[in-house]
Amino acid sequence: MNLDALTEDAVTGRSDAAGEPSWLRDRRLAAFKRYLDQAWPDSRADEFWRSTPFDRRFDVVRDVVAELPEVGVEVPGTVTASLDASTSLVRIVDGVVLDAVVPAALVEQGVIVTDLATAVVEHPELIESVLGSLTTSDPEGTGGDEDRTITANDAAWTGGAFVYVPPEVEVEAPIGIHVHVTRPGAHLPRVLAVIGHHAKASIYLEHTSVEGVDALVDEVVEVVAHDAATVHLASLQSWSDQIQHLGLHKIQAHRDTTIRTLAVTTGGATVRLRPETDLVGPGADVRPLGIYFADDGQWFDLQPYVRHIAPHASSDVLFKGALQGRSRTVFRGNIFVHKDAVGTSTDENNRSLILTKGARADATPFLEIECSDITAGHGSATGQIDARHLFYLESRGIRREDALRLIVFGFFREVLRELDLPGIEEASLAAIEARVEQADLSAVQVNDAALRDEVNA
Amino acid sequence: MADLEIRDLTVEADGTEILRGVTLDLDKGKTIALMGPNGSGKSTLAYAIAGHPAYDVTGGTITWQGKELNDLTPDERARLGVFLAMQYPVEVPGVSLTNFLRTALNAVSENDVPIREFMTRLRGEMKELGVNESFLQRSVNEGFSGGEKKRFEILQAALLRPQLAVLDETDSGLDVDALKTVAEGVNRLEGPDLGVLIITHYTRILRYIKPDEVHVMFEGRIVASGGPELADELEDKGYENIAGLKATV
Repeated sequence: MNLDALTEDAVTGRSDAAGEPSWLRDRRLAAFKRYLDQAWPDSRADEFWRSTPFDRRFDVVRDVVAELPEVGVEVPGTVTASLDASTSLVRIVDGVVLDAVVPAALVEQGVIVTDLATAVVEHPELIESVLGSLTTSDPEGTGGDEDRTITANDAAWTGGAFVYVPPEVEVEAPIGIHVHVTRPGAHLPRVLAVIGHHAKASIYLEHTSVEGVDALVDEVVEVVAHDAATVHLASLQSWSDQIQHLGLHKIQAHRDTTIRTLAVTTGGATVRLRPETDLVGPGADVRPLGIYFADDGQWFDLQPYVRHIAPHASSDVLFKGALQGRSRTVFRGNIFVHKDAVGTSTDENNRSLILTKGARADATPFLEIECSDITAGHGSATGQIDARHLFYLESRGIRREDALRLIVFGFFREVLRELDLPGIEEASLAAIEARVEQADLSAVQVNDAALRDEVNA
Repeated sequence: MADLEIRDLTVEADGTEILRGVTLDLDKGKTIALMGPNGSGKSTLAYAIAGHPAYDVTGGTITWQGKELNDLTPDERARLGVFLAMQYPVEVPGVSLTNFLRTALNAVSENDVPIREFMTRLRGEMKELGVNESFLQRSVNEGFSGGEKKRFEILQAALLRPQLAVLDETDSGLDVDALKTVAEGVNRLEGPDLGVLIITHYTRILRYIKPDEVHVMFEGRIVASGGPELADELEDKGYENIAGLKATV
């Protein structure tokens, strides 16, 4: 089954072979029909793709991978597993769920962390009404969520995880979902999480791959947060050099929910992420955060999207990225405020730090506002290391390379310190440290302009 | 030979000559005050000693304990014991104060100070200077009030134990209580191993820190030198009436 040429037989055949219920088979088939009607994104025509040439950065002519890993395959460790034993973890390797672990104490409380394929059979009542409900456009919202990168996953996903936290159950330890790639081809992981009202969960979505593997990962994550739930979603893109990653991470936030998301992108050849939240209940509060470090040859396209459908909800988007070498980053943030979303409070910011010559950062913090009774802000800034910061640290005896490292870490810590997610800050900074260590520090460009201002003060 | 010897120093910034031949000596164990009106070049001298990249030394020398500083980077000077308490300490976003101080201490002491020992020392110095422990959670100078920034400069000096401390307008922006605390902090540092250069526009800090000598700078030159009584004279008469200064000040 080739991702570029899905066929009805292949889609239904796989569904039948897996013994999927008929509602899921029908749903895959409907998605396949839409897939047929659609083309792959066209960067000349599609506003959301304007900054990233789809055909140059993504190769879709690949076979869909769903093969049991070889016996004894080595799966790298995860942040989740490095924490204490109370964490849960689903491991998806090459389109197949390798295993799912959930502590007995959580099972007793009704928490489910399992293979999605198993869950559709065992818990259809929890899944049928929500799976795929977030990938089609909300009729009240804007911006077609659905394009062929999504319908392809809807039709042909393989290797999925399901998380369910019953109402009023607070799961303190992170729930990990680890997507690992060892084989070339197209990987179509799928995640569905349903967090009940007044429940609490932190989900760590960890992405890794073996060195040298050339693969496309077309991923869809749906999270439904019911009334007053608290959901933290951290997504770590720790790919090896040749991975192309398309990710839709979509959250539906009901009344009075508290949503925190963090996307940490340091790996992969091309990563295009859509961390999206639809605020469908009043009083919901979302803080979409992102950090990224793009090195020579990497292209990251970050497209956080917040839709204010309901009134009195708030959102505050902050993405920060550093670049070195010939790298490219795109930030296209979108905030939509529906005409009925009175009392909305929203802000959206992007900061880029260009370390060396040759890197390019594009930023478009976009607002689409239909309602006048709101407060909204947006901004972006691209700059270099500030020579005043460098001088201050150096004047205390700190060597230049250490000073640069402190400043770059500080730049990201501003984002990381907003979250209290065990292991995430350390893992993120370690990933960034690995990038900084490869940097040619003598090539780092410093912005002297501020020094001149100081002289003239 | 004095520990700090500045000889015929000329300094430019942005193509404009600011220091026009400054000569000054300072020995460890001594405290001298450099006074002068705004724009006379006092801060330029401080930055030139510390190696600020926007100031070009175009002539003359700065020698510290027999070693010429002119071509050394700011961090190399700091590791030789030179410390500048800045007039306007910059906020360094996200850089944790504790991490910054420990990195600096390890650098100047050429030694990896164990974290427990470091924290004990840091907490001790903070207590002496009346700095709240909540500072430990903060980033370098971020969100600090003017007074908190000045206190933090002195805290750094206390921790790093320099042999030459240049205090650039450390008194400005401090209320009387804060000024006393900061001055006490400086007095505690003073001793045979430390030379202090206090740069100030006003004399009020000199009520708490007694200088051995006072020098007056005007238009990039030192135009008057004397003992502590020179500061009193300035207090009474103002800069315009000190010998050699023009009435245009």
